[in-house]
Amino acid sequence: MTAAAFLPWLVVAMLLVAAVQIGRRVRLWRGGKPATVDWFAGLKALPKRYLVDVHHVVDRDKSASRMHVPTAGGLVLACGLLGFGLVPAITASRLYWALVALAFLVMGAGVVLEARRRYPRALPRLSLGLWQRLPVHLGVFAAGGFLTALLAALGNPLPALSFVLFFPAAAAGLALAATTASGPMRHALAGATHLVAHPRPPRFEHQAAKGDTTGLRPLDLEADKLGAETPADFAWNRLLAFDACVQCGRCEAACPAFAAGQPLSPKHLIADLAAASGGGHARPYAGNPYPNERAIGGAAGMHAPIVSPDGIVHPDTLWSCTTCRACVEECPMMIEHVDAIVDLRRYQTLELGALPLKAEEPLANYRGCDEPSGRPLYERTDFAAGLSLPRIVERGEAEVLLWLGQAAYDLRGQRTLKALIQTLNAAGVDFAVLGGQERDCGDLARRLGDEATFQRLATANIEILSRYRFSRILTADPHALHVIRNEYPAFGGSYEVVHHTAFLAELVESGRLAPASLAGRTITYHDPCYLGRYNGEVEAPRALLDALGLERREMARSGKRSMCCGGGGGAPSADIPGDTRIPDIRMVQVKETGAKTVAVACPQCTAMLEGVTGERPEVKDVAELLWEAIEAGRRKPAGAAPTRELQPA
Amino acid sequence: MKTIVLLSDARNPVSGRAQLSRLEAQAIGLAADLDETPQGLHVGPGEEGVAAGLGHGLRGLDVVEAPEGEDPLPALAAFLKDALSGDAPPALVLCGRRGEGGLETGLVPYLLAEALGLPILADAVAMRPGEAPGTLVVDQAMAKGARRRITARLPAIVTVHPLSSPPQPFAFGRMRRGDIRRHAAAVCEVPVDVGAGERPHRARPKLMRTAGTASGGANLHVGPEPEEAARLILAYLEENGIRGYGRG
Ligand code: SF4
Ligand code: SF4
Repeated sequence: MTAAAFLPWLVVAMLLVAAVQIGRRVRLWRGGKPATVDWFAGLKALPKRYLVDVHHVVDRDKSASRMHVPTAGGLVLACGLLGFGLVPAITASRLYWALVALAFLVMGAGVVLEARRRYPRALPRLSLGLWQRLPVHLGVFAAGGFLTALLAALGNPLPALSFVLFFPAAAAGLALAATTASGPMRHALAGATHLVAHPRPPRFEHQAAKGDTTGLRPLDLEADKLGAETPADFAWNRLLAFDACVQCGRCEAACPAFAAGQPLSPKHLIADLAAASGGGHARPYAGNPYPNERAIGGAAGMHAPIVSPDGIVHPDTLWSCTTCRACVEECPMMIEHVDAIVDLRRYQTLELGALPLKAEEPLANYRGCDEPSGRPLYERTDFAAGLSLPRIVERGEAEVLLWLGQAAYDLRGQRTLKALIQTLNAAGVDFAVLGGQERDCGDLARRLGDEATFQRLATANIEILSRYRFSRILTADPHALHVIRNEYPAFGGSYEVVHHTAFLAELVESGRLAPASLAGRTITYHDPCYLGRYNGEVEAPRALLDALGLERREMARSGKRSMCCGGGGGAPSADIPGDTRIPDIRMVQVKETGAKTVAVACPQCTAMLEGVTGERPEVKDVAELLWEAIEAGRRKPAGAAPTRELQPA
Repeated sequence: MKTIVLLSDARNPVSGRAQLSRLEAQAIGLAADLDETPQGLHVGPGEEGVAAGLGHGLRGLDVVEAPEGEDPLPALAAFLKDALSGDAPPALVLCGRRGEGGLETGLVPYLLAEALGLPILADAVAMRPGEAPGTLVVDQAMAKGARRRITARLPAIVTVHPLSSPPQPFAFGRMRRGDIRRHAAAVCEVPVDVGAGERPHRARPKLMRTAGTASGGANLHVGPEPEEAARLILAYLEENGIRGYGRG
């Protein structure tokens, strides 16, 4: 009898321990609400979801993919091979043991790479504690397994030594298996199951409508309880998702609220949500604390409220989120943080009315007059006095319906809208606005958890829109764009919605506009989260800027991985204090490019970035830059088209 | 203590839509501190607008049907008279200062008190049960931020002042679960004096302050020493009761 002969039994023992531990988690998942899961399609798609989608995200951090592929591959391969070792005839083969040793060697190589990320000092976003000891356990298991198998492959020259080597491997292997309930190894099975039973399967189909992948799901307002109060209020596959987290901290590193010192870290939040169902953290959380952490009671359990000063998550954590989705974009485990945050907010707002004092005001205004600013709807077009701005009610139809949004009430937003309207007139676009019939799209209400108000506004807007004929809705507000394009269809209104950057790029490309070159100016473009990440539109605005001859410099974080301006998700209304402000951080990134102008494409971004004090680059909407170029083109005498309306004073 | 909050037909000043008056929402907040199940009472064509009271903390709402524009007073009086002579009579009736529809007189609480023979206390900012059973200690808001504490015998009608604590936040779920009871308008047997006496508008001279408010004259000091100036300002403020030493 050699020590190597026990290796297959060690794997069996590890699987048993893991099964017991996972069983404990499965019991908790079953405590969640039912969810419809297409198991067959999920299983079929698993290899692709894992090898393509997950790998694509993991691979953004090369040190992670390089360590994970050999470690996980070697571990699975070695354990799989050892499964055959239960057949006595096979264990007699030296070649077999050589293969096993090779698999352990591959795993060992991966573990070395993993250890390099953590020792002597771990990357700041990684968790310590059990996670820091993971490479030790894996390493001892791999080394012990390798040497035991190697000795067997060599004909077992030193039986005593092989036993001495086997025992530490067995201890480490069982220790690993024991962490499958609340420790690092939980991610393996939970992660794989999560990929199969993912709550948003269209995420993995790149042609799928964004509404299915990024739009919030409607809440049944007749349900017994609105939103999520306790872990039991989440669907079971959401609980599963929380368990899949590997505490890699990529989400935390991308989170603007975390960077600004507000008490939010998406990683900590997901870890808390995973811990909540089991009655709190089994071991102290060993990642970065929430910045300026608020004191909490720490009470947790399957039926205990999660968000409360006595619970496991402080309300300030919940209200710091800008719903920018940077965390979702970065998460290699495909966890949907924003869905969880909005579900929790819905309960706070709809059932308790417990939202930050300042955020109550826009919601009260919504209830009173359908507009978060509390301004009358008929004043929405006041800014355009002197411009030619047709109302659709006078004509019944138009090629393009211009959705003005909240920017129309804001002096800065009005400048952008004026530039846009003048450009549309200059290009001879057949467009019209709803005027006093346009209610707010409801984005802010929905992100603040007030689903009742959102649904009321959505229904009312859809009813108004159904009265007119138009082929497209054009808007300069990515929030309105996202809501109308992706979230209204659930209420029966499907429209083709186009963002002004894409529309204007189309006009320039087709030659309907002849902007002069603005060459000689350096700009950088700040991607709005709701346009870039939520809707994948990152090219049109850049194409437009390039067409103006501007020298475009990219910030380190741009495109789908851009950083939020801090203006979304009702965060400015909730106004949770931090150490600094998110737009200040973003403005520093703008300055790093050396650009003199930052081009924006969203009224929220404009307002947030313009709110940065001190010497800073100019903030200009893409529409303003284009209009500037068109005017510059007109000053040159050569055959410029005559203006169709008066210039505003 | 069983509390009923009267809800008027308020209009949003921007949209003109029916809504709950903020002052009545504050009244509900005060009521919720005294009564675990505060009830609302509204007379009008429907509960649109006032139903929000349930979201702010009311547990139930009685709506007595009355056509739009009808004087709510007789129906209110009849309903409360019934309630007061029932098995669980309300101890306290709270209301705002006046309706917010545009044409209200602000007389309803007073006429109601008269019709029901109840005492009325105006402008409460805080309330708590008195030491003796059946009494209520009310902090009344007076001019210039002064407060007066009064102990009233219940049942009573109390109107609420805008400086009382802000309303409980609105929660849609609570509104949805609240209990709305609709009643047909009852015939009023309580004599109500609604002919509160109309008279034509007559311009009257403005009331003037007596204590040295006039500028110039004795109150005009040109280039005084800083110390002297400070003393004069303080004296002026005290004379007018804007600031008082030793008077809290
Ligand atoms: S959505 Fe943005 S702000 Fe919210 S947790 Fe994720 S990264 Fe942070
Ligand atoms: S939630 Fe995702 S990105 Fe964040 S730590 Fe967990 S696995 Fe990493």
